[in-house]
Amino acid sequence: MTAAFSPSERLDRPAWIGRVWPWLFLGALLVFFEVWSRLRVDRSFLWNVYNVQAILLAASAPLLLAIGQTFVIIAAGIDLSVGFVMGLAAVTVAQVAVAGGEAAWVLPAAVVITLLVCLIPGWINGVLIARLGVPAFIGTLGMYGVARGAGFLAAGSGMTVSVPHEGLAWLGTGWTPIALTGALLAVMHLVLSTTRFGQYTYAIGGNLQSAVRAGIDVKRHLTAIYLVSAGFAGIGGILYAARYGAGAANAGEPLLLDSIAAVVIGGASLFGGTGTLIGTLIGALIISVIHFGLIFIDVDAFWQFIAVGVVIILSVLIDQYKERLGAGA
Amino acid sequence: MSAFCRVLLLGALLLAPGAGPAAADADKPVIALLPGVVDPFYFTMRRGAEKAAKEEGVQLLFQIPKTWNTTEQVPILRAFVAKKPDVLLIAPVDKQQLIRPLKEAQGAGIKIITVDTFIDDGKYQDGKGPGDFPLSFVASDNTEGGRIAARALAKAIGGKGTVYCENNKPGISSTDQRVQGFLEEMKAHPDIKVLATQYNEDDANRAASNVSAVLARNPNLAGVFGVNTFSGMGAAEGVKRAGKTGKVKVVVFDAVPGIDKQIKSGLVDIAIAQKPADMGYWGVKYAVGAARGKKIPTERGTGFVVMDKSNIDRPDVRQYIYSN
Repeated sequence: MTAAFSPSERLDRPAWIGRVWPWLFLGALLVFFEVWSRLRVDRSFLWNVYNVQAILLAASAPLLLAIGQTFVIIAAGIDLSVGFVMGLAAVTVAQVAVAGGEAAWVLPAAVVITLLVCLIPGWINGVLIARLGVPAFIGTLGMYGVARGAGFLAAGSGMTVSVPHEGLAWLGTGWTPIALTGALLAVMHLVLSTTRFGQYTYAIGGNLQSAVRAGIDVKRHLTAIYLVSAGFAGIGGILYAARYGAGAANAGEPLLLDSIAAVVIGGASLFGGTGTLIGTLIGALIISVIHFGLIFIDVDAFWQFIAVGVVIILSVLIDQYKERLGAGA
Repeated sequence: MSAFCRVLLLGALLLAPGAGPAAADADKPVIALLPGVVDPFYFTMRRGAEKAAKEEGVQLLFQIPKTWNTTEQVPILRAFVAKKPDVLLIAPVDKQQLIRPLKEAQGAGIKIITVDTFIDDGKYQDGKGPGDFPLSFVASDNTEGGRIAARALAKAIGGKGTVYCENNKPGISSTDQRVQGFLEEMKAHPDIKVLATQYNEDDANRAASNVSAVLARNPNLAGVFGVNTFSGMGAAEGVKRAGKTGKVKVVVFDAVPGIDKQIKSGLVDIAIAQKPADMGYWGVKYAVGAARGKKIPTERGTGFVVMDKSNIDRPDVRQYIYSN
């Protein structure tokens, strides 16, 4: 605000750390596991195709949910329904495949129908939150329950539905799910960082009143964001059915908290207005590397639960630290 | 500050408990055990496995999923594959969804033995089915266990009345077979009506709520069969909450810690204990045999112990209660 070397320049250093911390932490983790691996088992942790593929595969499922979640969180919302929308999608794609039979068009049709079905909970979330003023936490919590019930109902008494033929399996084999997730991430990153859609998302999350005064149709935009989130949950469900050959109504249940954790660890604030998809990617990778790495070094399962929790807390603390110093300057 | 935190975290991780794997010897096989979920049943299995591992002088790796869900078990499976164990002992959480991931593991050169649950049809190495490749299946004869439960419950309710099964979820080989055996045996009791099975997704609280709901609809409910650990716990709790201890007979599969008190107080009439320690023990024994190139049986049945008021105080029966 005034001359050179003002207080704001000294404050910039902590802000820089806040932006860079996810990368540093991921790097530190990888170095740690690599060193341990070479010293103790005389093998490389990272220079190993299988390990890299396993880590990326494990990260891809929560990452798909986290892509949608990033948009929602930047817009100062939250979407608790993504786990069960994913399950609903997995069941739907399987049921359509069962109903449609062996014809070649059945599987593409199943994918399209599933995505359309997922738009319904996304749209309802949008209406509840954007038009009826329901707080995002509560609205999506309600949809969590509805999607869950819908998923189980759609699955019938079995709770899972087998996909009767192998045609979908290619989507879930080898590097394909990883490549697909990466491609979607790249596209959405461009959307978020270069398009007006992305700009509006940040604006709404950063300062709702200013966004309204600037003429952004907030109601329509928020609805669109919840549709995006549900759409990605749908893609996640389709990939699950492709990978495991069956749609399970509870497929995404463990992934909800991981999707939020990935976004938060990546540097987004739960208050909205900040965050990037690259950050979310790093967050998802950190969680996946921790899970894989701790098993690799034979750490007891329960320490893993603690480790991810600790990382989330640290990320939030750093985020708070940034806020307190007014690092938005 | 964040640098300091990073150092702290790294330090904590470096000092973290956990024996590192010794470089795998050609002669010292590494066996990995991956059960279904956090459950005293599987911790008891682990102890049996560790006993055999010590006897054989092999290394045993162990990890446990926090919920009964494919999404949880498969990443752990892949991490285990990265460690290149010789044999993987696994309780697959779904008989169909785990076929592909296990086939991949086998493709990586790891021998597979399933414990407690199976994939596909459970008959391995007979040339039929996509899930034929595991070497052995070590578990209770769950169909027979279901029949035993049905007979016990029929006797407890005097041969007539309404009953139902409280179950985890469909698609799990072990619990599916118990219900199947139960229903088969109940056909021989024309005066007993079996209501629709209720599912609780391995959550004791849900099981208790289910019991309350079924009771509300069928006040004359005579008995409940809790098909696994958490179903049994929840069923007993649900009956207790409704104040119907003694009026609604409860037969549970799996002898959880505290089952002795429940039997003595009349909350649970009969507990059918499996022998998970035997499953773990024989799983490891077979694994070592397979790792050393020997031919192992494709199936091994471990037994049951039926616990009730008459025998629960005997030490040779009590030893089969599971513990953490």
